[in-house]
Amino acid sequence: MECISDLHLQAAHPATFQAWRRYMAATQADALFLLGDLFEAWVGDDVIEAGGFEAECAEVLRATAQRLPVFFMAGNRDFLVGERLARATGLALLQDPTVFSFGERRWLLSHGDALCIGDTEYQAFRAQVRGAAWQQGFLAQPLAVRQAVARGLRRESEALKRSDRVYSDVDTAAALQWLRSADAEVLVHGHTHQPAEHALDARHRRIVLTDWDAEAVPPRLEALRIAREGTVQRIGLA
Amino acid sequence: MNPKVELHIQGQGVVTLELDEQKAPKSVANFLDYVKKGHYDGTIFHRVIDGFMIQGGGFEPGMKQRPTGGGITNEADNGLKNEKYTVAMARTNDPHSASAQFFINVADNDFLNHKSPTPQGWGYAVFGKVVGGQDVVDKLRGVATGRKGFHDDVPLQDVVIDKAVVV
Repeated sequence: MECISDLHLQAAHPATFQAWRRYMAATQADALFLLGDLFEAWVGDDVIEAGGFEAECAEVLRATAQRLPVFFMAGNRDFLVGERLARATGLALLQDPTVFSFGERRWLLSHGDALCIGDTEYQAFRAQVRGAAWQQGFLAQPLAVRQAVARGLRRESEALKRSDRVYSDVDTAAALQWLRSADAEVLVHGHTHQPAEHALDARHRRIVLTDWDAEAVPPRLEALRIAREGTVQRIGLA
Repeated sequence: MNPKVELHIQGQGVVTLELDEQKAPKSVANFLDYVKKGHYDGTIFHRVIDGFMIQGGGFEPGMKQRPTGGGITNEADNGLKNEKYTVAMARTNDPHSASAQFFINVADNDFLNHKSPTPQGWGYAVFGKVVGGQDVVDKLRGVATGRKGFHDDVPLQDVVIDKAVVV
């Protein structure tokens, strides 16, 4: 199985989109897990009817899902992906977190944002926007309005990236609690853009996926391949 | 003899930093330069996350950003760790973009330490530690915070550095 996350696909970054499209066409994985922030922004599934970039992405997903099972977990940017996109593309939607039994092991898959519990304000925001009431209210607005909101949020996000923020990491105690509750040994997640492997205790570890950026130097284009025997490899795609 | 800087926090007390000139010469020289120019006077701790760190030196009350000089070389590979009560340089994703903003760790933040000289592994450069006023830091980490504009974790009541002085 292979996992990728944090591609932040957007029309303004065509090189990353092309790299992703090549990867999706070529992967020989038995199953593919998209673990959040595939899209930089997603204002509602109806965006694919407008044609354009999101429709292109949907087509890539559809073509891939015809060849192998593709599982989609939302991240903090694309949590409005829903049933409509899933039906249009053949994606299977996953809750965060999800346990996956593969080979001899249980793998706990998550985007990772829910585990950065130090960021209490983000967690309050997350609780609000993942609620049905907020989502219904937002999705009821015309597409053009939602797209304007997304543009505003993107500007804020860019400003924040320039503002020297120091980001907190996934909380070890929370990660261990999740792993124990799920009776899983390994947590696989993204969100922090800090690829690494961390031993949490004698039995448990967490593996962090890289984000994608074809224009970074060096380019960051990598999938995590998990073999049935339990070995984990980072596959560079540059 | 390591240089020391006092941060006089309005209504809270004094936090004294001892700077490690030997292990972080560029960061210390850069920091002292901003101190002596009065850059930090009147700035706030604008990002406070209890259990993580308190960050300041970049904004005035009202979240108005102060202009700074260019980025400095990242010295996170100097062996100093982001342990509780150490002070480190804040920066953007660019490893060598630290200018004026700094943060005081209020926990042992291993994940901020240097792992490799790559964009994702560089880490954050520790250049000193709190040697006086740890109780003030302990108070500051717990202040009530909220959203101001698009910034999160901003103290609801401004935590102002009245002045920063070399002692």
